[in-house]
Formats: sequence, C-alpha cells, structure tokens
Amino acid sequence: MKRFVYINEDNLAHDLYCDNRISNRKYTIWNFLPKNLWEQFSRFMNQYFLLIACLQLWSLITPVNPASTWGPLIFIFAVSATKEAWDDYNRYLSDKKANEKEVWIVKQGTKKLIQAQDIRVGNLVWLRENDEVPCDLVLLGAADPQGICYVETAALDGETDLKTRLIPPACVGIDFELLHKIKGVIECPSPDKDIRRFDANMRLFPPFLDNDVCPLTIKNTLLQSCYLRNTEWACGVAVYTGNETKLGMSRGIPEPKLTAVDAMIDKLTGAIFVFQIVVVIVLGIAGNVWKDTEARKLWYVRYPKEGPWYELLVIPLRFELLCSIMIPISIKVSLDLVKSLYAKFIDWDDQMVDLETGIRSHAANTAISEDLGQVEYILTDKTGTLTENKMIFKRCFVSGTFYGNENGDALTDAELLSAVSSGSTDVIRFLKVMAICNTVIPVQSKNGSISYKAQSQDEEALVRAAARLHMVFVNKNGNFVDIKFNASTIQYEVLDILEFTSDRKRMSIVVKDSQSGKIILLSKGADEAILPHAYTGQQVRTYAEAVEQYAQLGLRTLCLAWRELEDEEYQEWAVMFKEANSSLVDREWRVAEVCQRLEHDFEIIGVAAIEDRLQDGVPETIETLRKAGLNFWMLTGDKQNTAIQIALSCNFVSPEPKGQLLMINGKTEDEVCRNLERVLLTMRITSSEPKDVAFVIDGWALEIALKHYRKAFTELAILSRTAICCRVTPSQKAQLVELLKSCDYRTLAIGDGGNDVRMIQQADIGVGISGREGLQAARAADYSIGKFRFLKRLILVHGRYSYNRTAFLSQYSFYKSLLICFIQIFFSFISGVSGTSLFNSVSLMAYNVFYTSVPVLVSVLDKDLSERTVMQHPQILFYCQAGRLLNPSTFAGWFGRSLFHAIVVFVITIHSYAFEKSEMEEVSMVALSGCIWLQAFVVALETNSFTILQHLAIWGNLVGFYVINWIVSALPSSGMYTIMFRLCRQPSYWITMILIVAGGMGPVLALKYFRYTYRSSKINILQQAERLGGPILSLGNIEPQSRSLEKDLSPLSISLPKNRNPVYEPLLSDSPNSTRRSFGPGVPFDFFQSQSRLSSSYSRNCKDN
Amino acid sequence: MNSSTPSSSAGGPGSADPTGPRRSSKRPKYSRFTQQELPACKPILTPKWVISTFLLISFIFIPIGLASLFASRDVVEIVHGYETDCIPEGSRNDKVGFIQSSLDKTCNRTLRVPKEMKQPIYVYYELDNFYQNHRRYVRSRSDHQLRSPTSEHNIGDCGPEGATSNRTHIVPCGLIAWSLFNDTYGFTRNNQQLNINKRDISWKSDRDRKFGRNVYPKNFQNGMLIGGGRLNSSIPLSEQEDLIVWMRTAALPNFRKLYGKIEVDLQAGEIINVTLQNNYNTYSFKGKKKLVLSTTSWLGGKNSFLGIAYLTVGGMSFFLAMVFVVIYLIKPRQLGDPSYLSWNRNPGGR
Repeated sequence: MKRFVYINEDNLAHDLYCDNRISNRKYTIWNFLPKNLWEQFSRFMNQYFLLIACLQLWSLITPVNPASTWGPLIFIFAVSATKEAWDDYNRYLSDKKANEKEVWIVKQGTKKLIQAQDIRVGNLVWLRENDEVPCDLVLLGAADPQGICYVETAALDGETDLKTRLIPPACVGIDFELLHKIKGVIECPSPDKDIRRFDANMRLFPPFLDNDVCPLTIKNTLLQSCYLRNTEWACGVAVYTGNETKLGMSRGIPEPKLTAVDAMIDKLTGAIFVFQIVVVIVLGIAGNVWKDTEARKLWYVRYPKEGPWYELLVIPLRFELLCSIMIPISIKVSLDLVKSLYAKFIDWDDQMVDLETGIRSHAANTAISEDLGQVEYILTDKTGTLTENKMIFKRCFVSGTFYGNENGDALTDAELLSAVSSGSTDVIRFLKVMAICNTVIPVQSKNGSISYKAQSQDEEALVRAAARLHMVFVNKNGNFVDIKFNASTIQYEVLDILEFTSDRKRMSIVVKDSQSGKIILLSKGADEAILPHAYTGQQVRTYAEAVEQYAQLGLRTLCLAWRELEDEEYQEWAVMFKEANSSLVDREWRVAEVCQRLEHDFEIIGVAAIEDRLQDGVPETIETLRKAGLNFWMLTGDKQNTAIQIALSCNFVSPEPKGQLLMINGKTEDEVCRNLERVLLTMRITSSEPKDVAFVIDGWALEIALKHYRKAFTELAILSRTAICCRVTPSQKAQLVELLKSCDYRTLAIGDGGNDVRMIQQADIGVGISGREGLQAARAADYSIGKFRFLKRLILVHGRYSYNRTAFLSQYSFYKSLLICFIQIFFSFISGVSGTSLFNSVSLMAYNVFYTSVPVLVSVLDKDLSERTVMQHPQILFYCQAGRLLNPSTFAGWFGRSLFHAIVVFVITIHSYAFEKSEMEEVSMVALSGCIWLQAFVVALETNSFTILQHLAIWGNLVGFYVINWIVSALPSSGMYTIMFRLCRQPSYWITMILIVAGGMGPVLALKYFRYTYRSSKINILQQAERLGGPILSLGNIEPQSRSLEKDLSPLSISLPKNRNPVYEPLLSDSPNSTRRSFGPGVPFDFFQSQSRLSSSYSRNCKDN
Repeated sequence: MNSSTPSSSAGGPGSADPTGPRRSSKRPKYSRFTQQELPACKPILTPKWVISTFLLISFIFIPIGLASLFASRDVVEIVHGYETDCIPEGSRNDKVGFIQSSLDKTCNRTLRVPKEMKQPIYVYYELDNFYQNHRRYVRSRSDHQLRSPTSEHNIGDCGPEGATSNRTHIVPCGLIAWSLFNDTYGFTRNNQQLNINKRDISWKSDRDRKFGRNVYPKNFQNGMLIGGGRLNSSIPLSEQEDLIVWMRTAALPNFRKLYGKIEVDLQAGEIINVTLQNNYNTYSFKGKKKLVLSTTSWLGGKNSFLGIAYLTVGGMSFFLAMVFVVIYLIKPRQLGDPSYLSWNRNPGGR
C-alpha cells in the first residue's frame, strides 16, 4: 500500500486520511459505563461474583441477605471504574492540550494559524525554532541556505543530541516566497511505526522542477513530537497525521501486566472453584436424596408433594450460595490495597533517592511489586543505565607522551598544561583536531558563556576538553568556524564534512585556514579506522599500544589524525565528492568510497581517551543480584569492544580463568549457524562446571539467529546466565525480552533512553532510569529509579517483601474463607442437608470485611528477615523466584489447616453447646468467635515481626469483634439481640474459646516448631541467626568490595584486566577475528575496501568483531 | 565552561546505602512507618519457648478439665424416654395412627430420684431427630408480626403457614409456631402435687422485646392441618412462654427445651409420678421424646465433653512437651547454623 500526498492541495485527500486529532482515550462519556462494565466482567472472578449476587436475589435459595454480597460487589466495581475514569480523563486532558496547540499552516497561498488537530495530510506546516512538530512532515524548506535544520528527537527515541535534517535536493534553493505555492506529489508507504525508515519519493510539479523523481529518506523528515532547534524556521508537508504518525503507530496502550503471583492466585481460585462445584454437586445430590427419603416424613417441614420444575435445582443452588464465600470477594480488595501500599513504600523509600538530583524512586504500576521478587532475568541497557552517560575526556597520548596517567585526568596534568602554554606543535594540532573536527554547534548565551550542542557525547567531551586547554571553539557561522587559542582567534573555513557512519567509524573534516589558505584534512575515529591509514613512515605501534592500554581501563578511545592537502588534490577530490553526494543510487556507499580516497596517509597526532564512568555501586549491585540468582543480559546499541569493557568493569562477566566469553557473529546464515552451534557446544560442556560463561552476539547475527535459528538460540538463552548483545536495535531488544518470556522466565528490563521503551514495555517488569537521556523510559516504565544501584534494593527488599507478604495474604484469605465455609458445610450435615446457614448475614459480611481483613492487612509491615540480612544473603531470593511461598503445595497446607480448624471449631462448639444450650443464635456466635480467635492466633503465628501496628490490628481486631457484636446485640431489632451479652457472662463460653484456640493452634504450633527447628528452610536458618546473633552474620559477609572505576584509575589496578586478549578470544575460534589486534604498520588493514560493498544498512562492525 | 571534574566519591568504600544527609525539599517527612522501620519484636520458635508454652498449656488445662468434670458430675439428671412406652400396647404397630387419632393420650410414668437434687430443678423435654434447623423450617417465622400488632400482615417468610385458606393472616404465623410442642407433664411426689413453675422459663429479652404484649394469637391452628399445640387467644404472646421457648430454634437436631422449674429439693430415692399427655407426633419421623429433670452447675447442665476435652488437650500438650524435650536432648541442633546454608557449603554455586 502506498499513499500519495499532494502537496498544498487543499481539496484533495481530505477524506482519505484522518485528521491530526490525537486520541489516547479508551472511553467516551457514552460508552464508558457499558465498556468499563464489560471489561470488568470479562474477568472470571467478577463474573463469578455477579452470578452469585444475582442468585442471591432469589429468596427461595438465598441463605443470607443479598446485601451482604451486593454491597461489597458494587463497592469494588465502583472503585475500579472510578480509577479507570480518572486515568482516562487525564489522558483526555493531555490529548486536548496537544490537539489544541496552534500551528501555522499555508492555505491557499497564505499563512494561517490553526489548531494542531485540524492539520490535514498535504498541508504545508511552518515551524519556528523550538516548536514541537505536530505531525510527520517531509521537509521542504528551512532557514539555512544549505537546507540543514536541527531537531531534537528525545520524545521519539530518547536521544537528547541534536540531529540534522536535510531539505530534499529538489527543494534546495526554492525561494521563501515560492515555498507557499509549492506543488507536488509525495509517494510514501502506508503508515508504520519504524522511526528509522522512510522510503519515499517526491515529484514537484512545474514550475518548480522538471519531472525528476527525488528520493526521500528519514533524513528529510520531521517526525511528530520532535523539537526544532537552532533553526530559525522550517517548513514541511504533512504526510502522516493524528494516530497514523510514526509516534502514534508505535504508541498503543500497553497490555496490563499480570504478575506470576496473580496468575498463581487465579489458578488456585480456579482449583477452589472446581472444589466448590464438587462440594455443591455432592451436597446437592445428598440434599435431594435426604429430602425425598427423610424430609418428607418431617411433617413440620411440610414439603409440598409436587414441587415446581426447578425443584431439583433448589438445594444445589442453595449450597452454591452457601459455599460462594469459598472464593473470598475480599481478596481482590485486600490485594489491591496492599499492592498500592507496596508501591507507596517504594515511593517513600529514603534509601532509593538519588542524592544528586533529588529524584525519588517511583512505582507507576502499583500492581506488580511481587513480580520484582520473582525476577529471573534482568535485561539492561548499557549507556546511561550502567554508566553515567557523562563523557569526560580523561587522558591522551600525543607524540609519544602519555598525559593524564599520573593523576588520571589529563586536564590537570601539569605536563600537558605546560606543553600547551609552551606551544608544542603536536599538542596544538591535537587540540585543534579536538576543537574543529566535529559537528558540534556552539551556542553563545547572553552572558558570554558558550554551551555546546552536540550529536555525540564524545565530540562534546572533546570540545569541552579543548576549551579547558585554551583551545576554545567559539563560533560557527555558516561555513566558518572561529577558534580562540589563548588570545588569538583563528578562523577556518569548512570545506567539506566527511560524516561519521558506523561503517567508516571515523569522521573527517576538510578546512581551509583563512589566513594561510592551507587546506587541511582533520580526522578522528576508531583505532582500526585510523591507524592503518597512517602514512608509510609513521610508527603506529606506540599509538596502538596506547589504545590498548586505555581500552583496558575501560576508556573509549579516539585516534586523531590530520593531513595537509595540496590544493589540486583537494579540488580534484571535491568534484568527485559532490558528484557522489548527489548520486541517487547507492549514495552512501559511493560517498564512503570517495571519502576513502582522501582519508589516507594520515599523520597520526594522538589518542584521546574518554571515560564514560560507571554509575556508583554498579559492580556491587550486579554482583549481589547475580548471587541472588538473577541472570543478566546486556543489550546495548554500542559496539562490542566497549560493551565488553563495561561488562568486565562492572562484574558483568568475570575475568579469566573464571569467566569465558563466547562470540557469535557473522554476516551470513552459515557463519551465524556455525558460530551458534560452536557456542552451544561449549555451553553444554561448561554448564556443569562452575564457570562463568557468557556469550556475545551482535545485532546482525542476532537478527539471523532469531529468524532462522530460533530454537538453537532459545536453548542458548536458557543455558547462558550472562549475555552481551551489542549493536541491537530497540525492536531487537524487545524481541529478546519476548524470547525469554516465551521460555517462561520472569524478565525485568531496565533502561534509560527512548530506545529502551519497547523492551521496557515488553518485559514483565520495566524499570526506567530517570537519567540524562530524558524521562521517556522512566515514563513508560513500571518503576522509575534514579540510579542503577537502587535496583538491588528494589528487588531484594521491596520485591522480596512484596512477594512474601502477598503470598501470605492471599493464602490466608483463602484459609479464612474456607474455614467458615467448611463450618457451614459441616452444619448442613446436622441440618438435614437443607442448606441452612449457621451464621447470620451480618456475621458473614462482617467476617470477610472487618474481622478477618484488618489483621491480615498489617502483614504489609511484616518482615521475615531484616533488610541487612537479605542484602548479605541475596541467595535467599531463590525462595521467591521459585515461588516457594505460594504454590499448590503451600496452598494445600493452608487448605488442610482450614479444614482442621473447621473441624475443631465445629466439633467443640456442638458438643459444648449441646442439649439445652443448643440455641441457634448462640451456637452460631460461639462458632464465629471460635473462628475469630483462631484466625487471630494464626496471623500471630505467621507474623515474623510484630510492630505496634501488628499488635494493634491483631488484638485490637479481637476486641473490635466483641465491641461490634455487643453493639449489634444491643439492637432489639437484630436477630442476635442480647446474645453476645449472654455468652460473655457464661464461663462455658470462655472455656470453649480457650479450648478451641488450644486445640486448633497446638498441633499447628508443634508442626511449625518441628519444621522450623529440624527441617528448617534457609529463611528459617537466617531468621534464627539474625535473632540469636549467630556467627552467620559475619561469615557470609559480602560487604561491597570497592571496585569502582575511579579506583581503576590508580596505577595499581591498571593490571586488573591485563590478560585481556586470551579472555576475549573465542574458545573454538574459527573466525577471522582471532587474528585481530595483531595489526601494525606492516599489516594492511583495509577494513573499508573489503566490507563496504555490503552496503547494507546493517554492515556494521565488520571484520572487527 | 562547564567541564566536569571527577566527582568526589572516589574515596568512599562502596556507596550502597546513601542514608547520609537528607535533602529536605521534595521529600515527605521521614517516618519510621514510611521507611518500614517501625521497631518490631521478632520472636522465633526456640525450643525453650515452645516447650514452656506446651507445659503451660498442660498445667492450665488439666486443672480446668478436672474442675469441669467435677462440675458435670455434680449435676444430677433424670432422663426418661417415653415415646414408645406411652403408646398403648395395641397401637404400637401404628404409632402414627394413634398419635393422630383423638384417643386419650394420658400416660403415667414413674421416675426415681437417684441422688439428692437441690432446687431449682429444671424440667426439660428433649427431642431427638427433630430438625428445627431445617432451612424450610427455621426461616418460617415473622419477627415483625410477633413484635407488634401493626405488622400482622408481615407474613412474607411464613411459607405454607402464613395465612389461612380464606386469606386471613395467622398470628403467630410460620411453621415454627404451627408445630409448637404440646406434650404436658404433671408431677406428683408421694401423691402430692409437685408444683411446676412455668413462669420465667423463656428469656426475659424475648418477652420484653421480641414478643409483643398486645399481640394476640389469631386464626392459629385453624387450618386444614393441625400441627402442634394450640394457643389461648386471650393471652398476649409475651406471656405464652412455651411458644417463646419453642421459637428459640435449636441448632442441633437433638435438643432440650425448658418446660418448667420445680422449686423444691428432691431427696435421693424418692419416687416421682409423672402424668403426661403424649400429644406430639414424633412418630412419623421416628423421633425420640424424653423427659429430663436436671439440676445445674456453673458450667450448665450435665456435659462432660468440656472436661474430657480439656484433659485430653492438657495431656497431649504435656506429651508433646516431653517429646520435644527428648528430641532436644537426643538431637540438639544449633539454631541458625550457617553450615546449613547450601551456598556457604559450595560458594558460587546456586
């Protein structure tokens, strides 16, 4: 499908494509009630409750007042409907704001101000500096005569740097006035969500140009939600509008996430439901049989001889209603309540506040805290997540001298400073390359200070460093750049920019010294892209060694080079370059080839080392979490070397001999297949050894692997605890998450940039770091934290506690419901299987709503182990990961306990309140108080740590039970008038209570004690150790070993990853990279020639890993 | 120019817990609750604690159990089943036919007092296999109607016994009232009438609040089917104590209801003659009828269940305590021994 956009034709295409109204709303006012109810009732539990509530309206079968079910049901529905409505209203407000923003468009040749929502496909939209782009546009004109404009795409992909956008060649040079009248047609694909691709072409109608087709790429577009920067104005034609924009297509409301605990609770609910049906059927049949054999003889019951047709159904339905409380309606409310409290605890946590920025942690999704405790895989982004994403120029190597090695900071190295002030030629040239060879834009603010807008953080770091060393990049005016060195200003004219591509791995710039007229080529790039092109006489070995040394420190390296050009040579080349630039076919490759013709015979000036510091506490966090049994995958768009370096320095992979890295790469299916099999083989062999094996895969190979060898790759994913995936795209990140999820692993994705958003939304838990790349990831995520290291606390403390607490709370909810339900069932055996309820409506409702809910709610404060102990023994998280605290077998324990307790309560009650005491209301209250007493002691026994609130809730609730019942007993109209006063005066009542408690809790206590002491779980052992102050606290101590990168900068720890080469070579190497790094001056390393012909957008990091 | 200098955290060993100085502005006030740091006591199940708990239970329970048993034993109780004996020999093949006939149902029985019985002596009738808790039965009443004459029409729940065939309301309506127990007992000792006090046998609260002083029986037992006893329609419901007692439905199919009180002491060996009217039909469902004379104790009537249960629980606790002591002595186990942690055994393993 294609769409044809006619530029500036107001009458065409109006009905063909949607307008620019953005709508994220789920409901309208009219469909809210039905749609919301429909959604709520699509949940099985709600259907069940509704059915029960409806059945209760039939007074023939209802055992209790229908209000006891309808009240809570309506309450629950109202609460969730209100929440939905509120969320939707907020979405509506933000949509409205965006829709009503005013923009300039051209209509009938004149500019008009309209609301953003009225933009139509084909409209010409004018934007001024700092305007937000209202829809997807194809650029037609810009203030810059060369047709360059800058956009910030942070909202789209999370990258905060400025990107250049170009006017299509066909439009370059069109007059400002004429732009209003421009006509043409753009042929573009149907809307999709790929923000990196736009394959279209454009034909302008006369008089603007001949009928040549002009190809368009993503570089010619302005996408919705980007901001126009550093450009006075720009104009473009709307091609996609409203919800059909690239942003709109990739939006979509994420699916609500269901935690593993929720799934388990649903499963258990289903099991209980089946059990309930069985009970109902059995009792229903028994009831009907009893009725026909016995009850007909009971003259006082007066069963009619012939009942209505539904007579057989009456008794089963009565039992269904009687047993309906087996599935507690309160569980949903209690769970929602405690879950939002877990979330609040995260929000409140003072230990997860980023002290630098004051950013608190925030739980945006309040429903999935338990899952944090059950995570098995963590997929993490690198830049900005593990690192600070703050590039700082740290060291350099210029003409045989290392600067910055002593103190770790070249900028304060006295030697370098003196070299600068003494005017050493090499150093000056080095600084000049640093200052000029880039695409940075200096922005002079009013008070004279200069800030830099850079596409790449590396370039910014270099320019800043140069400025610190008195080589200040002052101004860029068209093609002229001004540099201030000490007091003098030097002006250069930029002749050409040979842009950076990931294939070339270098960028160059050709400048002309305005004074001397000399033409110079300045280059900077990766070592393998620069060093092989040195002029023949130069010794590059020293530079290679410097690169190696810096890389070992985890620094990013750039080689800087330059060459003076002869005038003729340049002129000759410039023609070719222009030609290549305007070619329509294979442009990228041609340009690259032309560039190659200029970039040779470099004079290498030096090596700059840039540090992207690890965040504080990253290695400790990763080490702790790995001990906790979590598997880490690093997914980064960065190159392999850097990724591995960072991985090493943050404990991601262990150095040899403990660790081993296995590479998977290759460009073709065959290669990838062979690599994959080789790695798999190694994995299988080593999986039995306690060795730390990780695999490294790049995006290209990953694409092939996921497409053709999914099975093998899945196996690899299961086998490998650690993986490094470099050069992956956002969608691949999401695919990897999907892959792990499909293997039934709980995944947590953590990232900071817009490119992580998809993976964050895809994962079971998405964690966003509110970092330097904006808040996009944080906004999309379920949890946002300020620093990576908070992840440790988030998982080990909050996740673990949440899981434990929910596990207890949900099972307890079933326990107490089953308890009272079993008693009703037992009672039916002595009431002629007729479905009489022992308890009255008030008691039944209050039992679920007050008596048993309050004590258990304070279990949100329960801590089985102190935070300190958990941090020291992260392995204990295993209990949560494996779901040891909430599974069918623990549930069976609770089921058995409620059965046992029901028997205890029932037997004791009917025996001690027999004969003359067997008055219905009294027996009912005795049994009920028995249940309340028991459940108070059950909660007390299962509570690990009693705070004042727990005592208040547990014992206060018991007191509350009596107070409530005294009040009800004082009402003459109630059925239980005076009952509770009577009971409390009877010694036999209290003796019965004590008997029920002792009889019910004695065996439970004995069993628990036995298991606690003689079959103790790891948790129990740690509890004992913690409270008795045993030796364990000192033994398993893993206080963070201070191993931050700062330390690495001291000479002592330079040796840390010294034996790097052997570590990183593939084990069973059959790929050409085994000879990598052996290049030197003698070895031709013509990486470009051999690879560039792939000319695919994907041919990155070719030979070099 | 803002070139970043390395931040100052280089010195600190790790920085996992930034509990340091707190910046104020954006934060909610620090509280122990929000930080989940409320002071907590964390009891654990140490042998000492558990064993002493069980010992304590047994030491408390055994005396209470003994006391209960003695209390129950002190209660003197005469139970006399008469449902068969009060049918004339000839009618025993068709008990139901007899009970439904209009023959004279007077029956004389003699009881022997086994032990001295101090007054007050409670007279109960005990019904067995009578399901007062049956669902059709237990709901078939109207509390509103019983309470106030203006709610006479309130017969919604009264089921088959709400109104007569010509649609006039029945007061008291419902199956419970309709099936009122109507055997009567008269006692003589040494040919002397033994007075049975039938006042105050029902709950005072029922008389005051639940059964109206100005509600009189209406159309009661006038239908085709006659259930149980009849009521004197000139006496208000609040004074119909037999009805009030009967309408306190029992939770169990085997129950006793108070008939009256004998307010003189009975000596051991005395013979008491009972003249009873065997009117009530329990024969169609093979229910038993018993006449019970019983004294009372602080625990109520004769019921040894609590005593036995207490002794059992106390004994079991003592036994468990001993078992735990033995296990503790034979196989002591150090609590919180780190060697039980598998990850300490082979470091690095999972």
